[in-house]
Amino acid sequence: MPAHLSCSRAMALTLLFVLIPVSGAFAHCIVGNRFFPATLIVDDPCVADELAIPTISVFKNGDTPSAQELDISGDFSKRITEDFGISIGSTWTQLRPPGGPTASGFQNLDTAFQLQLLKNAPHELAVMAELSVEWGGSGAASVGAARFSTYTPTLLLGKGFGDLPDSIRWLRPFAITGQVGYAIPGNSSTTVVDPDTGDTSTIANPRILTWGGSIQYSLPYLKSAVVDLGMPDFLNHLIPIIEAQFSTPVSNFADSGTVTTGTINPGVIYVANTYQVGIEAIIPVNRASGTNVGVIGQLHFYLDDMFPNSVGRPLINTTLLPTNIGGR
Amino acid sequence: MHKIIALSLSLAATAASAHAFLDHASPLVGSTVRTPPREVSLTFTQSLEPAFSSIAVFDSGGARVDQGKAQISANTMRILLKALGPGSYRVRWRALSVDTHTTEGDFTFYVGNP
Repeated sequence: MPAHLSCSRAMALTLLFVLIPVSGAFAHCIVGNRFFPATLIVDDPCVADELAIPTISVFKNGDTPSAQELDISGDFSKRITEDFGISIGSTWTQLRPPGGPTASGFQNLDTAFQLQLLKNAPHELAVMAELSVEWGGSGAASVGAARFSTYTPTLLLGKGFGDLPDSIRWLRPFAITGQVGYAIPGNSSTTVVDPDTGDTSTIANPRILTWGGSIQYSLPYLKSAVVDLGMPDFLNHLIPIIEAQFSTPVSNFADSGTVTTGTINPGVIYVANTYQVGIEAIIPVNRASGTNVGVIGQLHFYLDDMFPNSVGRPLINTTLLPTNIGGR
Repeated sequence: MHKIIALSLSLAATAASAHAFLDHASPLVGSTVRTPPREVSLTFTQSLEPAFSSIAVFDSGGARVDQGKAQISANTMRILLKALGPGSYRVRWRALSVDTHTTEGDFTFYVGNP
């Protein structure tokens, strides 16, 4: 991709972040006692005002031969109303195949439209629907960006276990999140031209089931809602987590095969008042997913906490102030 | 990309308020105390808006065991208790931080022999 286009994209993202209009209200992914952190690999189940930048991952991908891949991405999420939001994200990729030339450029631009379907505080349950769109042709073909758009409706949920009985209260800090989506390519096939011979061939673009989730144990939850063990403050900000993500071709897979690819990602997230830092390993589940263990790290800002009176509020605010407990 | 990172870091350095999370409590969250406490005191990570923050304490049968009006000052919320016998007690709180973020939560403490 030409350098000026890369620069334009970065500037557009910056301008979008700075120029968002002002309006009023509250919250990222908090449901009753439960705070779901922003996860690095899969999405968390809440509409929010957040900025994840940068997310950096290094790993050996599933190409043959396997290439060293570096991804640097940014993602901005903005609530339009309390329950509806949009997000926009972009990833810059560098590929270093063994013995081959290095390729670099942006992946296709990603956008998502998100609707909060449910937040149930007593059961620490959150459900969100999302339609994400990868805009074909907006990225560089040299790093694998498709020339066609892909549309992925996804259902996401999060469930905390704070409603477990007292006898097993040590399990209450556990929470799970999950998501399942169906990626539909805008074109059912792609025509490729062999650069050496000039011959053309047609490759089927499969429809793919994308699925994954996380299991997490929240030490902040342990301290504030189960038992305060008097641990050092640093530990009380940690959420050990294991994420996993998978892709399974389910139709039109004549050329891609049906092999499921994915990674398992154990790590930890440090949660502060206005930001979080996360780091996880990237463990491929098979050869088609990669060839060795990689790493991903992310710095993530809670815009609703950083700028509660401007960028961090929904554009259209319908918030009601809380009532007192027990009618007093 | 480096411009975005620089902008983000400079914004993060700006002073900001946030959600009011429970920092610590007396009696301690999940603790067992031999002597019945005379009040419950909660300290939060942010200053509170008194008009829209509240606290209530219930016994294992669901009856209120707090008395009087909650006292809320800066980031602390406290309420007096009736005479408590041995048993488990649930504290429920709701907090509105001064920048209008709402949070809520609950925890249990026990009175009796550990």
